[in-house]
Amino acid sequence: MNGHSITQYYRTHRKAIVTATSGLLYVGGWSLGHFLGLDTASAAVLVAAAVVGGYDIARTAYHEVTNRTLGIKTLVTLAAVGAIVIGEYWEAAAVVFLFSLGSYLEGRTMRKTRTALQELLEMTPDTATVRRDAKSEARSASEQPSGEGTEPRGEFVEVPARDVEEGELVLVKPGGKIPVDGTVVDGERGEGSETQRATGDPVSAVNQAPVTGESAPVPKADGDEVYAGTINREGALEIRTTGSGSDTTLERIIRRVEAAQEAQSPTESFIDRFARYYTPAIIALAVGAFAVTGNAILSLTLLVIGCPGALVIGPPVSIVSAIGNAARSGVLMKGGEHLERAGKIDLVAFDKTGTLTKGETTVADVEGFDVADDTVLELAASAETKSEHHLADAILEAARDRSTAATDGGVAVTRSDGVSADHPSVPEPDEFDVVAGKGVVAHVDGHEVVVGNSALLADRGIDIPSHVAEYVRDREERGETAVRVVRDGVVVGVIAVRDELRAAAPGVVAALRNAGIETVMLTGDNERAAAAVAGETGFTGLRERGGEAATQAVGIDGYRAGLLPEDKQTAIEAYQADGHVVAMVGDGINDAPSLATADVGIAMGAAGTDTAIETADMALMADDLERIPYAVKLSKATRWNVLENVGLAVVTVTVLLAGVLTSYVTLATGMLVHEASVLAVILNGMRLLRH
Amino acid sequence: MSDTTQFRVLDFDCPSCASTVERALSNLEGVRHVEVHYTTGRVEVEYDDSVATPDELEQTIEIQGYTPQPA
Repeated sequence: MNGHSITQYYRTHRKAIVTATSGLLYVGGWSLGHFLGLDTASAAVLVAAAVVGGYDIARTAYHEVTNRTLGIKTLVTLAAVGAIVIGEYWEAAAVVFLFSLGSYLEGRTMRKTRTALQELLEMTPDTATVRRDAKSEARSASEQPSGEGTEPRGEFVEVPARDVEEGELVLVKPGGKIPVDGTVVDGERGEGSETQRATGDPVSAVNQAPVTGESAPVPKADGDEVYAGTINREGALEIRTTGSGSDTTLERIIRRVEAAQEAQSPTESFIDRFARYYTPAIIALAVGAFAVTGNAILSLTLLVIGCPGALVIGPPVSIVSAIGNAARSGVLMKGGEHLERAGKIDLVAFDKTGTLTKGETTVADVEGFDVADDTVLELAASAETKSEHHLADAILEAARDRSTAATDGGVAVTRSDGVSADHPSVPEPDEFDVVAGKGVVAHVDGHEVVVGNSALLADRGIDIPSHVAEYVRDREERGETAVRVVRDGVVVGVIAVRDELRAAAPGVVAALRNAGIETVMLTGDNERAAAAVAGETGFTGLRERGGEAATQAVGIDGYRAGLLPEDKQTAIEAYQADGHVVAMVGDGINDAPSLATADVGIAMGAAGTDTAIETADMALMADDLERIPYAVKLSKATRWNVLENVGLAVVTVTVLLAGVLTSYVTLATGMLVHEASVLAVILNGMRLLRH
Repeated sequence: MSDTTQFRVLDFDCPSCASTVERALSNLEGVRHVEVHYTTGRVEVEYDDSVATPDELEQTIEIQGYTPQPA
């Protein structure tokens, strides 16, 4: 080891070396006096221990004083100097060494909490392989990926990941980390390629755990979104960049998580307010004690042990650890406030469509009454052409499949292509009106076409013949949604639409129930379909609480059907009025009002959408229901953890104060217990990192 | 012109130490706004770059006995 590396080593490990040296001198000095009776030598070595360990502390103390803040280091320095002045060398050395050791350990453990998030960022590679040539550099960023061999074949060059520009094409080898946000471009698909992959077939699978917390790799096909920091597993990926550098989903999430960690929870702000009175009170007590007893060491001891260290540090460490843990599991907690409230949840309300179900609606059956099935589908498709409802998507897709079934050879049809352009058989409506939560009314080729639920038909005074009602009941009892199609006031058919339940849903509801949390389902869907899904998922209803409001609101079946968005909100208010602390799980956009009303709003699948994160208190990065029991349990654990830390701090300070005032506790033992309590709350809080 | 810079201080060892650094940075000439977070170790400084320099900010943190890292 040469001189340079020794200085380097000293610099990085200064704190540890100083603490260890001070400790050795302390033990040496104490031994000299205790075993050999060399009092003068002992005193000298103990003072040396205090000076070595105390130099850095005193230096910071000096800055505290010049910046007019009252910090613990000033108090420790005062205590040590005071002890030396009155000849208590052992006390001085002990107090300095113990404080030094304590703050060394505090710094080390806090570093772990502070770097928990940075590990996520380190997932993003520093360089990217980009296709660049004169032509591609001139390309406009908005140009659509064609994927049909018209791509300019530029050279692949390695550049810093931050310098990749929007619209540029990045290549990621199998096993490589993805350096940018972007969409997959499948160069192998289409004419002239050897593989002739069909539309929608995955090119590769990506491990998205760093962003969404999902452990299973997600298949990626042409046009799918991928995130910086995730890992490409199988095939080579070409990615059209949408964001790089600090403008990636991962970076945005981490900035949000950090802001959440820094936001004060109610407990934290209470303690801060408390400390504002507490600290001056301790100073007054110390001054008073000196005035009465004339014992300087007693008042210094009071100052040192009276510092609200553990009380101030405990709750933030618990909350920062919990938020960090959640972030690594794909759950974004918006702050300690929400976390503390989430710890009190006793009722979780679920939206049905897209939350408990996959949200991928497909047409299960089409039934024409006195007209051909295909005519029903065509009419509905025409009326729904401009609708953005998820049921409309399913109907349009089914219409497309039927009309292309005969000739389809893998034609690339994407939603943005617009249906009518590709399929002249689906005419555009002349007039078109959306009735929110009920359906659409359109004019197609001179006919009035109504597509919607029973409420819409009732509103318009349209009769439903009994054979139609029978068919509808039959489909709804299977958990399907029946869409009625009316032409010129006559019901001509019904389209049954199905949305598969997520495999995890029953387990999640059971897990919440086992954790003592009640569950309900709120849906805009009809009674029978809701009952079918609620039964399949295992919603069993609320326990009797004697509350009028909630019993009326939910009945006993654990679900409520036929709700408009504002009805969901009212339902949640009713549960709250009944004394429940309610979490609502839904998607961030349609369920925004109820998410906002609930004590804790939990948004699903939020990775790509900032709006969802805005409206919610907690956001699941993936559509992973299993994160909900986890998040609820973590919140409960955090709430306990904060209480434990506050309790421990209060008990410690009370016992120490009593001990000091009755002369049982000396400066050194006071410091030992004080530092031990600070470390105890930090370590206790950090347990939440591994919850 | 006003500029904002961030540092990461991983070795804060007490909440009052973070407040002292915050105070020291605020006292620098040209510094407009300072946020120091003990729990995350994040230091954010808004300053007038015709008066103060990032180096100066960094040195101020170092003098207090802590190690600023780029964030």
